[in-house]
Amino acid sequence: MGEDSLFIRPIFEWGPVNLTTTVITTWVVMAIIGGFAWLATRRLQMSPARFQTLVEAVVSIIEESIRDIAPLHVQQILPFIGTLWVFIVIANLTGLIPGMHSPTRDLSATAAIAFLVFLSVHWYGIRLQGLKNYLVHYLKPSPILLPFNLISEVTRTIALAVRLFGNMMSLEMVALLVLMVAGFLAPVPILMLHIVEALVQAYIFGMLALIYVASGLQSQQLRQQKQGENHA
Amino acid sequence: MELNWSTFLLEIFNFLVLVWILKRFLYQPVLDIIARRRAAIETQLAEARQQHAEADALKQQYEHRLADWEHERQQALDRLMQEIEETRNQQMQKLKAELSQQEEKTRVARSRQDKQLIRAIEQRALQQSAEFASRLLAEAAGPELENRLFDLLLNGLSALPADQIEALGNKWGESPETIVVSSAYPLDDDKRHQLEATLSRVTGLSAPVHYEQDAKLLAGLNITIGSWLLQLNVRDELRGFMELADIES
Repeated sequence: MGEDSLFIRPIFEWGPVNLTTTVITTWVVMAIIGGFAWLATRRLQMSPARFQTLVEAVVSIIEESIRDIAPLHVQQILPFIGTLWVFIVIANLTGLIPGMHSPTRDLSATAAIAFLVFLSVHWYGIRLQGLKNYLVHYLKPSPILLPFNLISEVTRTIALAVRLFGNMMSLEMVALLVLMVAGFLAPVPILMLHIVEALVQAYIFGMLALIYVASGLQSQQLRQQKQGENHA
Repeated sequence: MELNWSTFLLEIFNFLVLVWILKRFLYQPVLDIIARRRAAIETQLAEARQQHAEADALKQQYEHRLADWEHERQQALDRLMQEIEETRNQQMQKLKAELSQQEEKTRVARSRQDKQLIRAIEQRALQQSAEFASRLLAEAAGPELENRLFDLLLNGLSALPADQIEALGNKWGESPETIVVSSAYPLDDDKRHQLEATLSRVTGLSAPVHYEQDAKLLAGLNITIGSWLLQLNVRDELRGFMELADIES
């Protein structure tokens, strides 16, 4: 276990642009996911076959999960949240392939995704509610909580990035350590744990992101619910 | 554990591209096909509901039609029963009329039979009476009765009015050569003179009178003038009585 196993070194540098294995692996993952999506939706039929049923089940599960949290904005936030789940699952599982490491083991990648979550919360909030209504929600339930709300916006984003990065890096480190100590095939149980952990972390990351986005839309949902009750 | 800004920015870009790719090639097509399938299912459900509603409507229509048929059947049955009742009444009335006619015929026939029986009994009684009278008169007949009948004849002829005597002038046709007088017993001369004188006066004829004796007359006379016959004897009176009885029967 050398230093390369702990740090991500650039493999190509062109001015300020550094291409690391994380980026290359991300492109591979993107190519796999994009190709899979293209193949899966190339010949969709009204009477689905097994493969189409599996794809529709995955999309339906994502849609239902989002509908449970933010039933009024499924169409708007589904592409972002769904992509989070799909990308993080595949990215996490990439570490199981010998010679490759998960892009999510790189803090730069997890921070980028967490930063996108941070931006998406405000993006969806301002886009769907308007700037004023969105900013007002920081003053609720009491203006005294404004600093805490602002701090939580930053800390939870950092927590997102660090949680995913720490878990995935620790898993791969454990697997490497077990491989070095016990030998070939010994870390197989750890790899099984890696699979479970990859799914769990992806689920946690995506669900937290969904909750953050939904919390930004909560005031609008409450307002619409009140309007619905008044109409009723 | 360091933050590579190049990687950070590229990952942001990569993820946004992946969001677009998945939205373009995964979510949108899958959601569209699911929406279309749901729409198709909803359409099928709507059609099924519509068919169900139509089936319910048809069911109600058939139930109403069945009820109407039942009602019509009941009405037809009632009409049939009424027609049967009317026909039965007509047949009963006809039968009663026929029975009445038959009774009337029977009564008329019985009445006729009774009348015939009564008439037969009366005829038989008349015959028996005639036979009895004939026997009685035959037993009782004798010269005295003939004398009484002779006197009765003379008195009758003598009492004839002139118009009847004149009417008798043409009864015997041409003037007869003789006048035949038959009697059950011989007439004496005195009676013959009285009779000839009376006949001559009544008939105006002067023809000779020929006298005969006929015991079959029992008592009395028969006077034949040409085609005219004057009978006043027991045998002919009884015969007339018998014929009268036959005519009445």
